[in-house]
Amino acid sequence: MANARALDKRRKSVRNIRKITRTMELIATARFKKAMDRATAATAYTGRITQVVSDLAQAGLQVSHPLLEARESKENALLLVLTANRGLCGGYNGSIVRLAIPHLTNLRNEYGRVALEVSGKRGINALGFRGLEADESYLHFEDQPKFVEVEEIADRYLEDFASGRLDRLDVVYTRFVSISRQVATVETLLPIGSLDGTDDDPKAKPGDAAKDAGGAAGDGDSMYEFLPSAESILEEVVPASFRVKLFKCFLDAAVSEQIARMVAMKSATENAGEMIKQLSMTYNRARQSQITGEIMEIIGGVEALG
Amino acid sequence: MAQLNCIVVTPEETAVDEQTDFVALPLYDGELGIAPGHSPLIGRLGYGEMRIRSGGNVQRFYVDGGFVQVDENVVSVLTNRAVPAGKLDASEAAELLAAAQKKPATSPELEEIRDKAVVQARAQLHVAKRA
Repeated sequence: MANARALDKRRKSVRNIRKITRTMELIATARFKKAMDRATAATAYTGRITQVVSDLAQAGLQVSHPLLEARESKENALLLVLTANRGLCGGYNGSIVRLAIPHLTNLRNEYGRVALEVSGKRGINALGFRGLEADESYLHFEDQPKFVEVEEIADRYLEDFASGRLDRLDVVYTRFVSISRQVATVETLLPIGSLDGTDDDPKAKPGDAAKDAGGAAGDGDSMYEFLPSAESILEEVVPASFRVKLFKCFLDAAVSEQIARMVAMKSATENAGEMIKQLSMTYNRARQSQITGEIMEIIGGVEALG
Repeated sequence: MAQLNCIVVTPEETAVDEQTDFVALPLYDGELGIAPGHSPLIGRLGYGEMRIRSGGNVQRFYVDGGFVQVDENVVSVLTNRAVPAGKLDASEAAELLAAAQKKPATSPELEEIRDKAVVQARAQLHVAKRA
């Protein structure tokens, strides 16, 4: 039978661990709520951008922009991988890295030069371990990515794309579907496939709207007055929608990270509780058998004396 | 009297959502005032000061490009940033302007980027000084 004292010690340390994991769970919950609020706020923005685009389409404007067109040349591609700075969040970082590596290999076969950019310490380490050094790495994105910071990166990509230094931009991140479901996904952000915000609302495709409007465009009637002109606004809408798409990726990643951590810590806390139960039982048994043993010894001694 | 519902959204938050009497916005080429009953409009914003008047109260913001959509007495402003004028720091804006002016302008693209940064910083400085 195990030593009762050793068991007690072990139980104490498990209890401490449970305290820590429980606290981490609570912290993750609080952060998740904050991150979620921000993500919802961003949805208001994307919704309105989509609205403007569909209004533009209704004005009979052909939705075309350099950012929307696929490139012939396959020279430069860029893969942006969004991971967390910290671990203890279950399979969150692992699934991203597992998705990113084969995708990177594919891109490298297809394109002449593929740059790799990674956000998050975990991803940098995991990819570095596999011999994939990041060309650019970001460590400053935590649970509340700032738009200004994302905008900086987005503007650099836009500039590179416009000047031909970049032909394709893919982002690997964890997409937030619902609170109980987050999926690691690869999304091509440049060239922009469609302008329907970040929501996968199939009926809100402006491409279709443009076609529909194409028929009605003959009369060219739109109730809106465009200042300065619909084309000029479109020119501005497309980059804005790209920026907000990229921002949304960061927000989704942040929300998903907190959820992953919350879930991981919750199950860790539950496991620790179960372990404590088990240990308590073994400890009680060990203690009881120790006492029984001692009593037997005393009785034996008394009998030997008598 | 009819009122305008003014909604200002940035990617990070909904900065303003309230009933107002009058909204003045910096368009790409000058200021635009919107009173209740304005005709539907989609416009491109520049950098500068947005004023929202409700009652005798005037709120002032610095807006950083974007769009405005006016429809049925609803003014939706989509912008990258909407900073209350009181929160802008004139000295910081001046530094931004100085930094923007020092940017290289050796090619047409770079020149464009520099000009944009300069205009942006100037507008910030202007709004900050008025606060």
